[in-house]
Amino acid sequence: MIFAKFSIRAEPSQYRSVHVNRPDLDSCAQEPIHVPGAIQPHGAMVVIRPSDMTVLQASANATEFLGRPIAIGETVDGVIDAHRNEILTWHGSEEPELQIQADNLSLGFHRAGDMIVAELETSPSDAADNVFLRLRGFAQQLAGQPDLPGALSTTVRVMEKLTGFDRVLAYRFDGEWNGHVVAEAGNGRLPSYMGLRFPAGDIPPQARALYALNHVRLIPDVNYQPVPLQPVINPQTGDTLDMSSAQLRSVSPIHLEYMRNMGTAASMSVSIMVDGRLWGLIACHSHEPHNVPVVTREACDFIVQTLAMRIAAQEHADEAAHSVALARIQGRLLGAMSVSQYWLDGLVSNVADLLAQVAASGAAIVAGGECHTVGATPTQDEIAQIIGWLADRPDTEVFATHALPLDMPAAKDFAATASGIIAIRISELHESWLIWFRPEVLRTVEWGGDPHKVVREQGRIHPRVSFERWSEQVRLHAAPWAEAEITAARDLRAAIVGIVLRKAEELAQLSSELQRSNKELEAFSYSVSHDLRAPFRHIVGFAQLLRERENVLDEKSKHYLQTISEAALSAGRLVDDLLNFSQLGRASIAHKTVDMNKLVAEVVRSVMINNEDRAIEWAIDTLPPAWGDATLLRQVWFNLIENAVKYSRPRAPARISVTGTTENDRTTYTVSDNGVGFDMAYVDKLFGVFQRLQRVEDFEGTGIGLALVRRIIERHSGIIRGEGEVDKGATFVFALPKEGKGKILA
Amino acid sequence: MPELRPILLVEDNPRDLELTLAALEKCQLANEIVIARDGAEAMDYLLGAGNHAGKDGGNPTVVLLDLKLPKIDGLEVLEKIKKDANLRHIPVVMLTSSREEQDLVRSYELGVNAFVVKPVEFNEFFKAIQDLGVFWAILNEPPPGSRPNAS
Repeated sequence: MIFAKFSIRAEPSQYRSVHVNRPDLDSCAQEPIHVPGAIQPHGAMVVIRPSDMTVLQASANATEFLGRPIAIGETVDGVIDAHRNEILTWHGSEEPELQIQADNLSLGFHRAGDMIVAELETSPSDAADNVFLRLRGFAQQLAGQPDLPGALSTTVRVMEKLTGFDRVLAYRFDGEWNGHVVAEAGNGRLPSYMGLRFPAGDIPPQARALYALNHVRLIPDVNYQPVPLQPVINPQTGDTLDMSSAQLRSVSPIHLEYMRNMGTAASMSVSIMVDGRLWGLIACHSHEPHNVPVVTREACDFIVQTLAMRIAAQEHADEAAHSVALARIQGRLLGAMSVSQYWLDGLVSNVADLLAQVAASGAAIVAGGECHTVGATPTQDEIAQIIGWLADRPDTEVFATHALPLDMPAAKDFAATASGIIAIRISELHESWLIWFRPEVLRTVEWGGDPHKVVREQGRIHPRVSFERWSEQVRLHAAPWAEAEITAARDLRAAIVGIVLRKAEELAQLSSELQRSNKELEAFSYSVSHDLRAPFRHIVGFAQLLRERENVLDEKSKHYLQTISEAALSAGRLVDDLLNFSQLGRASIAHKTVDMNKLVAEVVRSVMINNEDRAIEWAIDTLPPAWGDATLLRQVWFNLIENAVKYSRPRAPARISVTGTTENDRTTYTVSDNGVGFDMAYVDKLFGVFQRLQRVEDFEGTGIGLALVRRIIERHSGIIRGEGEVDKGATFVFALPKEGKGKILA
Repeated sequence: MPELRPILLVEDNPRDLELTLAALEKCQLANEIVIARDGAEAMDYLLGAGNHAGKDGGNPTVVLLDLKLPKIDGLEVLEKIKKDANLRHIPVVMLTSSREEQDLVRSYELGVNAFVVKPVEFNEFFKAIQDLGVFWAILNEPPPGSRPNAS
């Protein structure tokens, strides 16, 4: 086991199962990387007890750096002792670190428990001058960058020049610690990783914890020989030294293998800490071993911290701008909804805003038993499944996930369009929902470098292989929803609920007004029916009485009387028809199975009583039974058949046919004649009250018959239409829903 | 031959009254026709009160009752008749201008014997009145209890 060389902690048994030649990726997460017991050879380490400045531990190469032998257990001497006062003053202060430049040596001090750890590295004397010029240039360039990508690429360029690495990457973490290369600078010696993505496992949690503590890590030579501390066990703690804050800490063999697989011999990484959180890394690599002096590394830390402040400012500004933009979109949606009859119309008529509200690629609105979709969504059946699943959840006013299949396994089938959803429930009573969808992230990734095009290099942990593992890891995931987007969805829900409530109140108000006006109309028609009919009856009655006094009237007078009678009679009929029509709106419908054959036979008989002289060829099919009110349906047949007889009067013989068919949800009936027909241009007027398409002297009638027919059919939730051709005839088709079936829409 | 008892016609509209009388006249009924112009007067006649105090001859053979009447309307008159132990067997025919369902339903609930919508067409109207007159005055055998005492 490779670990045995670095860690002599024997107790934790899990380490033993790790095989050197086959580093398991999971083992990364278990490795105690902060207590390796050894350092890298580009510097030396001395551990000192401050009370008496005694050396407790020293790296095997300390003599080499100090230029004199060092004795464990003795008081320090030489260059460290020369700065004893400075060191003790610092140790008594709050400062975490002390940096001392002494000739060609950089001395770094930090604390480990109550001990002082000194790290010694050689340092060229001109390093500082070079650094200062670069820093000044960086500050100016960064200020000139308008956006985050610009700031990041400036940073990696400056870092490349400053450190002399072959390639410098800016690497950003997502919410789940997957990494994404977002900026790169390089001299071409190493391949580009721009755009590549890496799974969270590539940088295990304890490594990320170290990155937050200790901002800069350097590995000048991947093939270094670790230098052990002597003794390995710290005499004060009885354990290996905690090197969390050490620059020279020896690194994990897994990490070294990873570097070798990347083809890099040297690397350095600098943490980008934004608002106390590890936002990302600046990672530097070289094909050949490459050392970076302490002062340059400190400059890099400074540069990256400056970048971090810029990122923080940018992110806060972006978040604010995002919220403002979402609020503006919401304003437009609400505006559209408030002027729409129905809130839903306001949403579906603003597809772009509806989707932009939460940056979704599809949306579905489910209300009133219907499902409206825009953009890329699952099928209606799948949406119904989602709603079924959502409805069983306890609190679903707003539900957001970017990995729906993890919560709802059946959603795997439509993960392509709906890995991410935000669902808001508008009304529990009427089951109405607004759901936004985001596709699986793999489908939206920009493939900065297609890993499949690259020849497979050896080694299990490798950036290219990582990309594939990352793909595995993010399968069934969508891009996560921003907090501002979820908030926008929640706000939109509140607004819609407000609008729906307001509309409901308006509707209730309207309906009570309608009820009142209906009552008034009823009272009106009641009094009309009594008071308006009477005078017509009187006119007809007295005219008749007068006509019977034959001896006092000449022929002309009799003709006038006849005309008066007829006029009053037709006015009386008109009143009757109108009353009939208005009563129909109020009468309740008594549904039962109706024998349409019987009705039609009866109606034909009664129509023919007044048309005995007509020659009519009837063709009446056997009709399926209907579901409805027999009295009202009789009225339908009567009006349609009477019309057919009336308008075929010029034909000898007239031909009238009646047919009926039955389908899944309805029964359909037709009445056709070969009469005068009508012009289809006026078909819209056919069923209107007082609409007549024929002159009254040609064909008598009040213009209410078909309006009455339509009202009856509509009260049965059915439909009726008419077709005609001038001088060829007319056909009326009506359909009624079967028992238990819903309203017929077309 | 049972004694001819009068027909009570309750009608406020003078034109309807005239037309109805003309129709009844054509039937050449021998029955006396008593006219009441509103519901109150009709009740007075039936109960032998007011202007009709001391009337004899017992109950009418039939009451032709208009629905819309001043003071006490037709439905109220009907209700009073059908609740009165002495009057409830008198056949009542409701005459009305309209076929309002509510009136029809209410009338039958109150125990009306017939409900006739006055047709606009005069011939039909005449025929209806004549039929009523003939049926209730001549053909119909009233229940024994409603017969007047022989005078």
